[in-house]
Amino acid sequence: MKRGLALIAVALVALASVAAAGAKSSDTTITGAGSTFVQPLVAAWTPAIGKAFGYTVQYSGVGSGAGIAAITANQVDFGASDAPLNQAQQSACPDCIQIPWALSATAVAYNVPGAPAHINLDGNTISKIFLGTISNWNDPAIAALNKGANLPDLKITPVFRSDGSGTSYNFTDYLSSVNASWKTKIGTSTQPAFPAGQGAKGSSGVAGLITRTSGAIGYVDVAYAIKNHIKFAAVRNKAGKFLFPSLRRIEAAATAFTTVPANNELHIVNPPKSAALAYPISTYTYVIVHKKSAHAAELRKMIFWALTQGQGSQFAAKLTFAKLSTNKKVLVAAEKTLKQIQS
Amino acid sequence: MEQGALSLKATGRGRRRLLVNRVAEGSAVFAALLAILVLAIVIWSVGSRGAGAINLDFFLKGPSSDFFGGGGGIAPALAGTLLLVGVATLIALPTGVLTAIFVSEFAPVRAGQQIRLWLDVLNGFPSIVIGIFVFTLAVKTKVPVLGIGHHQSAIAGGFALAVIMLPLVSRSTIEVLRLVPNHLREASYALGVSKWQTVLRVVLPTSFGGILTGTTLAVARAAGETAPLLFTCAIAGQIVDWNPTHSVQSIPLTIYLDSESADPALHQQAWAAAFVLILFVLVTSLTARLLLERSRKKLGLQR
Amino acid sequence: MLARVEAASVPAGSLPRTRHAGDRIGDGLLYGLTALAAILGVLVVFAIVWRVADGAWPAIKFFKLGFVYHNVWNVNLNGGTFGARDLIIGTVVTSFGAMLLSAPISIAIGLFLSELAPPAVRAPVGTLIDMLAAVPSVVIGLWGIYVLAPFDAQHVAPAIHAVLGWIPIFGGDPHTESTVFTAIIVLTIMTIPITSSICRELFIGVPSELEEGSIGLGATRWEMVKTVVVPSVRGGVVAAIILGLGRALGEAIAVTQVIGNFIPMGRSLFGSGDTIASRLANQYQGASTDRQIAALIYLALVLLVITFLTNYAAQRVVKRFEFQRTGGA
Repeated sequence: MKRGLALIAVALVALASVAAAGAKSSDTTITGAGSTFVQPLVAAWTPAIGKAFGYTVQYSGVGSGAGIAAITANQVDFGASDAPLNQAQQSACPDCIQIPWALSATAVAYNVPGAPAHINLDGNTISKIFLGTISNWNDPAIAALNKGANLPDLKITPVFRSDGSGTSYNFTDYLSSVNASWKTKIGTSTQPAFPAGQGAKGSSGVAGLITRTSGAIGYVDVAYAIKNHIKFAAVRNKAGKFLFPSLRRIEAAATAFTTVPANNELHIVNPPKSAALAYPISTYTYVIVHKKSAHAAELRKMIFWALTQGQGSQFAAKLTFAKLSTNKKVLVAAEKTLKQIQS
Repeated sequence: MEQGALSLKATGRGRRRLLVNRVAEGSAVFAALLAILVLAIVIWSVGSRGAGAINLDFFLKGPSSDFFGGGGGIAPALAGTLLLVGVATLIALPTGVLTAIFVSEFAPVRAGQQIRLWLDVLNGFPSIVIGIFVFTLAVKTKVPVLGIGHHQSAIAGGFALAVIMLPLVSRSTIEVLRLVPNHLREASYALGVSKWQTVLRVVLPTSFGGILTGTTLAVARAAGETAPLLFTCAIAGQIVDWNPTHSVQSIPLTIYLDSESADPALHQQAWAAAFVLILFVLVTSLTARLLLERSRKKLGLQR
Repeated sequence: MLARVEAASVPAGSLPRTRHAGDRIGDGLLYGLTALAAILGVLVVFAIVWRVADGAWPAIKFFKLGFVYHNVWNVNLNGGTFGARDLIIGTVVTSFGAMLLSAPISIAIGLFLSELAPPAVRAPVGTLIDMLAAVPSVVIGLWGIYVLAPFDAQHVAPAIHAVLGWIPIFGGDPHTESTVFTAIIVLTIMTIPITSSICRELFIGVPSELEEGSIGLGATRWEMVKTVVVPSVRGGVVAAIILGLGRALGEAIAVTQVIGNFIPMGRSLFGSGDTIASRLANQYQGASTDRQIAALIYLALVLLVITFLTNYAAQRVVKRFEFQRTGGA
């Protein structure tokens, strides 16, 4: 008994000293949480930021919604979200500012064995698929967009994000702007009430479910679709062209919108006809920080690096993130907002 | 058969009854074999898919930061689970044992029954609700308590696991304390030893083995819990961190997050982590039960 | 056996009349500490209920009891419209389905381990089944996604559909992987160890005179089980099944991995669905409005009430059958 108690005492002392040691090294640790969309890019940035400043960035891809909740509650140093803060969230976190720090697109990925090399879709058809009114791949509406293609008789299973997702926000933002029925029935949200299909958690969860389900169609960050070798559709933009998401096409969408509102909330889905080469489901993604915080100085340095060097092709282009500097106004607004962080 | 001899072979209704008996016995055997088959399939699936990823790096390194590379290891999650389970045991073991001592040695029968009832109620609570409870208590509060307020931490996660462990530790300890023969206690009192000395010097040492195994089973359960950690200790970085006021990774959460992934490398990580977890849980459960059998036999109760 | 000290045989004055001060303090201290621990343990139960009710209060005020029978769960509609009906249905269907499958199997296993197996086999098999209880739910969920669900979708569900497809619950397309059916199988696997181990203990506890008596009267083993063993512990068996049900009701992780996260659940078990616990696991972290957070905690409260009532029912069943069996003694 006595020996047991002594052992426990020793263990406690050891634990306490280790904890103390661990506590000291947290000064240059920057914690972040949120979007799985931007997670690959942050993961690519982490070693470089470590080399440049000596900071250890710890990022947790829990979804945009959870990231906003985390930064509001001060659980992390920065939050990452593809969805801008809504009114309720902004008032819950009056000290929060959002800075666009990356630019990419949402791919409409599918798994149709025996399908042609690529499938064309447009906004209305995608809306109807996710509303459940088009339920088979050989539906005439899809066939009309894919003349001469041999589409199999296969049930369509829409796949959506079951957690709070900025990618869901971007996707439903697009559907709301092209389809009035979608806008009224479901609208834009990080957790839309999808009327058909199956849900999965995280971008990798959706990519996984699509891979496993024959006939599935879902929305996922381009990087995840490419990484997992999932085919994605060519989506028709307002100019009538069927386009895949690529760097050029994302840049075209970004340059089509010239005004940047005061709170940096940017919608670049469904660009006007004049942007002939724009991919219609592109999106910025934001880093959300408090104006005043414990790591304000480090955050300023880190975010500035992300806005400038982080956009280099060895980080961004490899993951199909277009350069932020494509739209100078956005970059200027981002840097200006960055100055609001008081160090 | 000769005319006059009695035949012992069953006929008519008797035969049917024997047939029904056979079928029933067969079904019972089948059911048991089915359960064992499922266990074997689960262990084999996890082992065959995960074994490939298990090497020294798996235990020593963290996940790789290259999006297209994949692989790496679960060292942060391993450390995190050890930390969480350590915190949980530190909280649940003393509380559970002390509660059991109260119920077994001090409380009047009715009070003891009431306490056991409420512990059973606690045992029946869904673990996800316990996670939400600790979230509102320790993570969402504006007042920092012990440096753990308003952010996720291993202490918050460990506390949630402790709430799950508490009824298990209490119940098994109460049972073991009950098994201590009364004549040991009475002999001690008769010698003039006070109650507290009796408990500490006679009752507890006798039941030490049983308490240990009960705690081990509770630890095995806590090590595998995912839901309570979702809200109390989920946002964590990718490095090994022993600081309990930080949020840390954990093996069950890593499995959960990687389980839905499409990346084959992350997949294998999930399977390998599941394999490690299953091995740990099964080995500790098995050892605990064997020790319990031995300590029961020592106390003179056969099964 | 008991060593009694006869008062008469002790010389007067050799034993202290009052106890040591140290003993009094020690006793008091131990009593105080242990009582405190016990009170804390009980207090946690009430603390949980209080915090959950407190967090749910804004949603309770807003949605009132209609929450339970409205079925729209939409973050956007009118600033957030939340109704739990479909989730409650999903929870009940998956758990009851698991209970229906697990009850006969668990009773059979309990009988096997207590009556029908050769004694040498009982301990190892019992241990193996206990090990099934020890497998963490996230591992069963992982296995469910990649092994069980495809197997169900390719072999089991189509087979059932071919034979029983005319019944609505077995209708629909049996080739979907993330389904209510898979979730039911997963929950069955998780509840069998609990129910069967309680059943085993109960069956072992039946007095052997009763069993031997019926065998002596010419009953086969099965008839003995049917007429003597099971009826005498009927209440306990029902309670064991209900306890397994309680476990299934609260399971979040394994269910959310295989069920498809979609409401409303269709007529068929071969479609996707969702349960309360699963939705909490998915949406709680990312809830973006206060109303949604409160609605989710309201969901947690509903789940708490359901599981509490289930466990309470188990207790009542035990009491009632106990009463019947002992004739009110």
